[in-house]
Amino acid sequence: MPMLLALTVLLPLAGALTLFCLPKLDHKVARWVGLGFVLATLGLSVILLRSFENGLSTPQFTLVQQVGERTVYGWTWLGTPDIRFALGLDGVGMGLFALTTFLMVATIFSSWESITERASTHYALLLALEAGLLGLFSSLDVVLFYIFFEFTLIPLFFLIGLYGGPERRRASITFFLYTLVGSLLTLVGVISLVVVAYHGSSQNVLTFSIPELTKLLNDKTMLDWAPWRDLHAWGEWGRFAPFSAAYWDKVKAFYLSPQVLIFLLLFAGFAIKVPLFPFHTWLPLAHVEAPTAGSILLAGVLLKVGGYGLIRFNLGMTPYGAQALFPLLAFLSVAGIIYGALTALAQSDIKKLVAYSSVSHMGFVTLGLFALNPTGIEGATMQMINHGLTTGALFACVGVIYERYHTREMADLGGLWNRMPLFAFFLILSALGSAAVPGLNGFVGEFPILAGMFARSIFWTALAASGMVLGAYYLLLMLQRVLFGPLFEPVHHVVGLGVSAGHSPNESPTPIRPIAWHEIVGLGSLMVPIVLIGVYPKPIFELIKPTTQQVARICDPDRVDRSQVVAAPVPH
Amino acid sequence: MNADASSYLAALTTLRALIPELIVLSVATIVMTAGPFVKQPRRVWSATAFFTLVVAALALYGVHNITPDPYSSVLLNDAFSGWTRMGFLMAGLVIVLLAHDQVDDARSPEFFGGLMMLHAGAMLVGSANDLVLLFVGLELVSMPTYLLLYLTRRNATTQEASAKYFFLSVFSSGLLLFGLAYLYGIAGVSNLKALSYLCHHLAYVPNPTLGIIAIVFVMAGLGFRVAAVPFHFYAPDVYEASPTIVAALLAWIPKGVGFAAMLRAVTAVFAETEALSQRGAILVYLIAIATMTVGNMLALRQTNLKRLLAYSSIAHAGYLLIGVVAAFRNLPYSPGVTSQATPLVLGAEGVLLYLMTYSLMTLGAFGTIILLSTPERPVESIEDLDGLAKYQPVPALFLALCLFSLAGVPPLAGFWGKLWVFWSALGATSPRSDESGPGLMMSLVIFGGLNAAIGAYYYLRLVVAMYLRPAPEVRLTPRNAWPTALAVGGCATLSLFLGCYPRPLKEASREAGVAAITQPVPSPVSSAPEHPGAEHTALAH
Repeated sequence: MPMLLALTVLLPLAGALTLFCLPKLDHKVARWVGLGFVLATLGLSVILLRSFENGLSTPQFTLVQQVGERTVYGWTWLGTPDIRFALGLDGVGMGLFALTTFLMVATIFSSWESITERASTHYALLLALEAGLLGLFSSLDVVLFYIFFEFTLIPLFFLIGLYGGPERRRASITFFLYTLVGSLLTLVGVISLVVVAYHGSSQNVLTFSIPELTKLLNDKTMLDWAPWRDLHAWGEWGRFAPFSAAYWDKVKAFYLSPQVLIFLLLFAGFAIKVPLFPFHTWLPLAHVEAPTAGSILLAGVLLKVGGYGLIRFNLGMTPYGAQALFPLLAFLSVAGIIYGALTALAQSDIKKLVAYSSVSHMGFVTLGLFALNPTGIEGATMQMINHGLTTGALFACVGVIYERYHTREMADLGGLWNRMPLFAFFLILSALGSAAVPGLNGFVGEFPILAGMFARSIFWTALAASGMVLGAYYLLLMLQRVLFGPLFEPVHHVVGLGVSAGHSPNESPTPIRPIAWHEIVGLGSLMVPIVLIGVYPKPIFELIKPTTQQVARICDPDRVDRSQVVAAPVPH
Repeated sequence: MNADASSYLAALTTLRALIPELIVLSVATIVMTAGPFVKQPRRVWSATAFFTLVVAALALYGVHNITPDPYSSVLLNDAFSGWTRMGFLMAGLVIVLLAHDQVDDARSPEFFGGLMMLHAGAMLVGSANDLVLLFVGLELVSMPTYLLLYLTRRNATTQEASAKYFFLSVFSSGLLLFGLAYLYGIAGVSNLKALSYLCHHLAYVPNPTLGIIAIVFVMAGLGFRVAAVPFHFYAPDVYEASPTIVAALLAWIPKGVGFAAMLRAVTAVFAETEALSQRGAILVYLIAIATMTVGNMLALRQTNLKRLLAYSSIAHAGYLLIGVVAAFRNLPYSPGVTSQATPLVLGAEGVLLYLMTYSLMTLGAFGTIILLSTPERPVESIEDLDGLAKYQPVPALFLALCLFSLAGVPPLAGFWGKLWVFWSALGATSPRSDESGPGLMMSLVIFGGLNAAIGAYYYLRLVVAMYLRPAPEVRLTPRNAWPTALAVGGCATLSLFLGCYPRPLKEASREAGVAAITQPVPSPVSSAPEHPGAEHTALAH
């Protein structure tokens, strides 16, 4: 089994290298090669999913060795220090891993006809991205995790930059740099965690394994992270600050306590990835400029990387930081929900609308995570999977429209129901799923989030719920404008000349291509889980439950005795 | 055994350990002397240089188990010296391959002779264990550099550049010599291991006043060589005006020797001494932050490739200085007394690993420029690279790999350099670390991380130009020069390979890093006559 997991991660990489070495391949051949590798990976991941044992919170499919007292995972990679090539999956990882392999099929089909130039490189980049994402969700070693985390930037940079819209160069640079700033700060945080665990553990264990670090850092004796307490000495700079000494003492006891500081460092990278409200500015640009396949993966999986990192690192290793900063985090999440929804409401471009709706929906995810109770974290994880499916489907639908009409302006479109009824059905289903209509998957995720948050704070829950109403509003408005009413299409054949003003209701000079088989397969495959999860979410909850409950146990407010940490004596 | 015989034996051991340097130096002398009389095409001279360096590398392997006494010999043959000398030789091979067609036939004996001398000097710095030999090595690097700067192209701008470099370099050598004199004055010994031992074992040594003067001046002298702020002003002008091959040389060799000398003569001596490690660390901390920030900020607006790479090399000096700060906080390690060195990354280890990856990626980047430039159409600005990937995919790929490595993106070698340097800083907390300990390091690393992100912008600009911009009408035609292509390809491939499997690099750097902080227990007093320098170590007991 460990070999099978490693094979699943490396297979797309092999596919990427194959296609990369054959840059002159015709797109009709390249897409089949790409599809072959994606389906093979999907097959392997289905095997993994079927042999996954629910109810265990320890990672599975991993090579386990006992070295003295310690459990060591994976293969030796660097020797000493013991950075290992350690792969393994727990419930949350398995869910997102399967989601990635599943969404890849839709991305291949969405670029089936639209990518004709340099198609081989396009599929190579998609496969490289898949390999990075799969590696990321299955890493059990912090350094390996980080390598995959940053590696995903390179293929996505080229995907946006080479195949994107008119502003693609700016979009790709903005995306790359914005993410890099955050992830370098995350790197600092990750190294700090390793060093803290080394100094704080009783026998000076130098470990990079995620499960082991989680265990070490949450030992009762580790709560004050003693060797780092002299960070307080920094606080001496506060005497130059323009407020009272007593207030400064409070500030330094709070923000300079190591857990809060390291929480913030880790948070920098993941909050940008999610993206949380004030750090979301790269997202609309990147989403709108990216090709359809890039958008699907970006929204569907890459944003989840942020949430996954928050679960693994911020909640799992610096729980006190998460608790101490609760008001701030809840505020940012709710601000993201409402701001994203209002901005989406104001968009006239469908793709921008979906992009801002992502900001809003990912706000729900972080809200659930920072509720710090089992219900909230479970809902958040569920919502990550759901959002990947529905938003992926929405972006694929936008791609279908754009390929035919070369416009994404809602003002130029109308009554598409009459033209493509099956497509309209797909769009309605994914929009309703996204709007969290009961019976579809969005509801199953958002309801536990709000329930979890309700237990924590009624105020923030009430505000967040208003975001749900807004979400239904802008999505239904979009459906109404695009699908219903009399058929209204831009003139098709003059797009290249920049003339898009003339509309001809009910007829167009060149016939609009009916929805093709690859679009039906690509979109249809996404519809199945949207409905299934909505009706019967139990298997997924059972899959993720052990892990989310473990995380919730770690950051249980009763376990982490806050007073003990804040009141830790400051050495002088 | 009488004293004469034993000192004769000690001298012989020293000479045997010096065989690689002697080979390079003697061939260099022969080439430079023979040059005016023997007319040969440049490929003969470059091949001579190449094979001399290969033979020296083999000789280096041959002498690896000769160990001169650390407290009496003027040079060491430990893991540190082995690794730095091997690094200089390997990078030297790349430089010779890149340079093989960059000079006229008439000037090539002097050029390649100078190149070999410079490498002999660099190797001397890596192995020096004595202030005098260290200085000789550094000067043996500087003097041929003046020659090379002027030799390849003789026009007004090159003249200006070499004059600028000459005066500043001489000035910095003066500063360095002044600092070295104070370093000697601290304990009255010029043997570096002995100096380090005395500083850690005698009360009132080092004297804080003398010591701080020594640190400041030595760092100033070496700061010029590594192009650290505020001694960085020459770099962009000199790089821009000099031929690309010399710019590549300047971006690597002085940086390599500068950091090797810092690790040997500053951090190994003063690390964790009561009086000076804190002050030294804060001094280097400030230089590091200034260097990173200035280098990156000024690189953002450059359009000339060589100026951009010059500022990038300044920025990299800043990242490397993070490791030097960390090295100030690593306790010395005495085999047999202390059980083992800390498993966390040592400052010296981080610096050495970074230096090796830096040599690969920066030589690869300069090499691609050399590969694409022809005398009629030199590659000078970023626009010259527009659309390169469309019509020259392989050189573009090589350059892109080197640039991503410079930006520190995994899975490329540059990432491990950054990781190791950052980690050495965060891990460098010690029992004696007082108030500003982890806070100082933490802020330094955060600065480093933010700077690395800023730095990625200008590397990305080159990638964007190559991959995302349309190709112009007038295109670059790479020269048909297989040695250059081989060198560039080798650098890029190694960057990728070592990024995926950094274990050999890491292990060699680890051993070298431990060797840099090793303080062997001196032999007992009774054996003093056997070692000419041992009276000082006797003093320590």
